Amino acid sequence: MEGNYTTPLARWARILEIFIPCYMFGKSWGIADKKTFELFRAMFPTFLIDGADYLKKLIHTDNTNIERLVATVAGAIIGFLVVALLAVVMHIVLRDRKYIDSLRFTSVTLIPIAVLNGTLSHAIKTLVESLSTQAPDALYASTVSSSRGTVAINVLFYLTAMWMMSRRTGVTRSRRWGVIAVGVGFIVLYLALGLMISPNEWQVLLPKLQQALATH
Amino acid sequence: MNITKQRFINIHKYALGPALLLYVVGIFGTKVLQIGILFAMGAGFFNLLHQKYFFGRLKLAAHIWLIPTVIGIFTYPLLMEKEPSGQNAFYCVLTLIISLVPFFLLITGTTEEKPSKKERLKIISARIVVQILVFIIYAVTTAYSFIYGTNVALFFWGMFHVFTVAIFPFLFGRVLCGWLCPNATLQDGLFKNLTYTRPITKLPRAIEEQSHSSAMYISGEIDKNAPYFPFTLLIAWFPMFFTETVFDLTGVLLYPVIFMYGLYFGSLLMPWRKMCTHFCWLSSYRGLGAQGSLWRIRFNKSKCKNCKMCQAEEACPFFIDIRNQDNEMPATCCLCFSCMEACPFEGVITFRRAPEEKARLKAAGKAV
Repeated sequence: MEGNYTTPLARWARILEIFIPCYMFGKSWGIADKKTFELFRAMFPTFLIDGADYLKKLIHTDNTNIERLVATVAGAIIGFLVVALLAVVMHIVLRDRKYIDSLRFTSVTLIPIAVLNGTLSHAIKTLVESLSTQAPDALYASTVSSSRGTVAINVLFYLTAMWMMSRRTGVTRSRRWGVIAVGVGFIVLYLALGLMISPNEWQVLLPKLQQALATH
Repeated sequence: MNITKQRFINIHKYALGPALLLYVVGIFGTKVLQIGILFAMGAGFFNLLHQKYFFGRLKLAAHIWLIPTVIGIFTYPLLMEKEPSGQNAFYCVLTLIISLVPFFLLITGTTEEKPSKKERLKIISARIVVQILVFIIYAVTTAYSFIYGTNVALFFWGMFHVFTVAIFPFLFGRVLCGWLCPNATLQDGLFKNLTYTRPITKLPRAIEEQSHSSAMYISGEIDKNAPYFPFTLLIAWFPMFFTETVFDLTGVLLYPVIFMYGLYFGSLLMPWRKMCTHFCWLSSYRGLGAQGSLWRIRFNKSKCKNCKMCQAEEACPFFIDIRNQDNEMPATCCLCFSCMEACPFEGVITFRRAPEEKARLKAAGKAV
């Protein structure tokens, strides 16, 4: 059976399965600009946004599109590092494959969270665009609160994708629960470090946002 | 009247000639788009390009000619409102003649040649109705957003939504690819039976080989080394996401429209559904959760007579050779039930596993 997987494109598919979800996962952290930086730091884990920002500052350009390209690549690098780290834990739980396959597994199962990141960064963009036209409470309700449903559904899919993918690749039932536990641990940590903006945090964040918009 | 193949072609040619002429003269004469005649040309070309399919299905071909008739009747008051003139009434009457003559000839005609397929399954009729309805909704929302400049391309984004691409496949497999995708509808309705030679008749061997080297395509057990998705599907993702992010296209109306039209035109270059199988990245994304979905078809191998009527390149849009499956469908199955209809025997491809099949699997030590 293994011989079937050694076609030239199958090898390349395995490589892409690592990099594409990592790119999708991390790109949102890199696209924070001067206007949205504070909001991104509140919505996502702060150190990830700061890390991507550090990488972005290494290359200076005046072209907007190249700037966005650099920004997404910077975010993707941070994304790759996060996935590589999570894959170490997953590798210990899975135990039946090489690290590179554990990394691939972790990367593919993270696609729903990558979609979640993309959706939230789009929500941030929409929020900033309507900051001058809507009341702060309405803004909070329309973007931060309403995105919680999206978070819930993406998390649900993340966990089911993990279960299905591990079942598909022959992981025993007991280890599958271990895989889910890693997923739950990761998602709890990820949510605790960002995503859940409380009304109090929002009160602190709003003046900063308005100031950033007035300046830039 | 006995409609021979040549007579079938002639009816359409004689209808198409005046339609083409009237369309050109009509535009210059009335300065308005004669939409009824435009659709008459569409009906003529459609039937001619699908002559292999329609010959033997004369009543179905006749009904295609009802489209320009209805459109002609409905657009006539609008034309009169815009440009009240006797000329428009003249063109409306001619549209009706051009479309009703072939209709009556085909609906009353008889032919000795019959299509070899068995009677249409109810589930396939239901699928066709759903496909048409969803396509109309898609076309209307896209047209609306173009006319009013609003972003009602939400239908398109809905297809990307985590529920439709992720949760839905757990329950209904890749029903989205078989029942709801507008590109799939176009391919099934317009492109499948087209008689012209595609510019790309055969894809490189390396691309075709993917269909037995990734978890999405393999129905049985796989190991940890197998790639989850085919390479070409993965690489098709990248330009989409990259362009979207770098050029900040999220929420921009043109972006999904270009994407969908790109798929339509790309699909015309290759054999039926090859675009979905190897290049639509949404197609692969749905495959993530579709393996072993709750709603799926069952292949009762013990009842199969090996007549090969269901063979991959003929019946299945995703080129699954059902005879190679051991009662498990791969994630690529889009539940179109074409294989079920293609099979001339009862009880081979079903919704429920047959008792004999259960016994066979039990004896082979496989999960029942």
